[in-house]
Amino acid sequence: MGLLSIIRKIKRKEKEIRILMVGLDNSGKTTIVLRINGEDTSVVSPTLGFNIKTIIYQKYTLNIWDVGGQKTIRSYWRNYFEQTDGLVWVVDSSDLRRLEDCKAELDNLLKEERLSGSSLLILANKQDIKGALTPEEIAKVLNLEAMDKTRHWQIVGCSAFTGEGLLEGFDWLVQDIASRIYVLD
Amino acid sequence: MENEEVALSSNPNPNLLVADPSLQKKHQSMLDRLSNRHQTRLDNSLTRRSAESDSSASPSFESTSNFLSRFSNSKSSIESQLAQCRLCDPTQVKSHLDQISSSISDLEKLVAENSYFLPSYEVRSSLKTTSDLRQSLEVLSAELLPKKKFSFRNKPTRKDPIAEPKEEEKEQEPEKKSGFRVPDSPGFWNKKGEILVHNFKGSEVGEFSISDLDSCEVRLMGSVRALFVHRLRNCRLYTGPVTGSVLVDGVEGCVFVMASHQIRIHNAKTSDFYLRVRSRPIIEDSCGVRFAPYCLTYKGIEEELREASLDKETEKWSNVDDFLWLRAVQSPNWSILPENERLGLVDISKSVES
Repeated sequence: MGLLSIIRKIKRKEKEIRILMVGLDNSGKTTIVLRINGEDTSVVSPTLGFNIKTIIYQKYTLNIWDVGGQKTIRSYWRNYFEQTDGLVWVVDSSDLRRLEDCKAELDNLLKEERLSGSSLLILANKQDIKGALTPEEIAKVLNLEAMDKTRHWQIVGCSAFTGEGLLEGFDWLVQDIASRIYVLD
Repeated sequence: MENEEVALSSNPNPNLLVADPSLQKKHQSMLDRLSNRHQTRLDNSLTRRSAESDSSASPSFESTSNFLSRFSNSKSSIESQLAQCRLCDPTQVKSHLDQISSSISDLEKLVAENSYFLPSYEVRSSLKTTSDLRQSLEVLSAELLPKKKFSFRNKPTRKDPIAEPKEEEKEQEPEKKSGFRVPDSPGFWNKKGEILVHNFKGSEVGEFSISDLDSCEVRLMGSVRALFVHRLRNCRLYTGPVTGSVLVDGVEGCVFVMASHQIRIHNAKTSDFYLRVRSRPIIEDSCGVRFAPYCLTYKGIEEELREASLDKETEKWSNVDDFLWLRAVQSPNWSILPENERLGLVDISKSVES
């Protein structure tokens, strides 16, 4: 029995799911993680490096890797790709100017072979801000329909400020991963 | 089984026949196949016998001399056909060559059929002869029917099923892009040497953009959720509370007086920031930026700051993270603005009234 199969067995037993949260800076990744974990979101500094949160969600253990989105540290995202079951791409729906940057970074990320098997949840965050684009509009801007047909993906509008839409998004992500990795019982 | 067949064929009741039409059909088709096969077998043996009797060189069946004479007859006929080819009508060359080719095939078949009793030398020499004939046919057809030059060309009549969706995509893509335009957000753009004032109080503005300004003074009162600042030169920007985040990108020679929950500063050069912020401000790709505490006032600012939870000084303005300087020692890109160089309290309500 190889080491890999032992690790797989342990992983299956504990029903662990590894989720990588990425997106441009100021998109609200850290606030989302804090919100779904029920923590205080009033003081959130821009992430210098990364945070790991372990959250028990339904009967699964989610290991959420929240990686800083500043330009200078985006090149380190690749260090977190290994073993990623679910990818969460967070978009600041009110940042109209940088939507092109957002699309370019996402396209770049999806080329990554190590992430090719992971489910993709796109969170169109900051829906509570007036003037923010709707999830449908974000999907058009990011040209999500043109994505590789083998990719499991979903876009959900949300607000880390009010908490709206977060459960819906994570429910989909966990169910999609679970049905792929663990036989649903 | 037999009884059943009889019953089926002799049954006068059509209902029974209809009752199992598929079985009947199968049965019929099997009979057809059998009779067909029998017929072809008969035909083959007949033609073989007649061919043998025609040649009549030797009546014996497995005779080498019989084979050799038949072989040489066919061979000479093919050779003469090949020779005639050069003389015949060019429009008929192709059918003529096809005919020769099938004759050679027949000859090859003859060799194969008789190979089991022929001496190995005869087999080898006959095979050599047929392959020679085949080769001379190829030489001739290459000479008389020059191959079309290979080239790619469009086939308008028959569309390539793979190429089709690609073409559609190409047509659709620009449509998609032009079909959706990102709407403009509220804000100030492309101004030079102006004083720009906006009060968010009572309005429902979520995000506000300030971009491409030169030598302007911007005064924002009331609270707003998000503020985007892009490409400013020699400007002064005064804002009330921003309850979400401020994103500053590409500024030079500016003064900012801002209160916000989060502040990110990118590509800033020689600018001063007077901040009240709940979290650590960050700079990236910036140099010569200096920080000082918030120093703004206008009528009603206290209440607005309180509502935005920005009424208390957190001292975070001096706690700057530089993403290009991940070391314990102080970053050379930013500094604390010396007290004697700082602005005094700036009151923007007065200047608006005047």
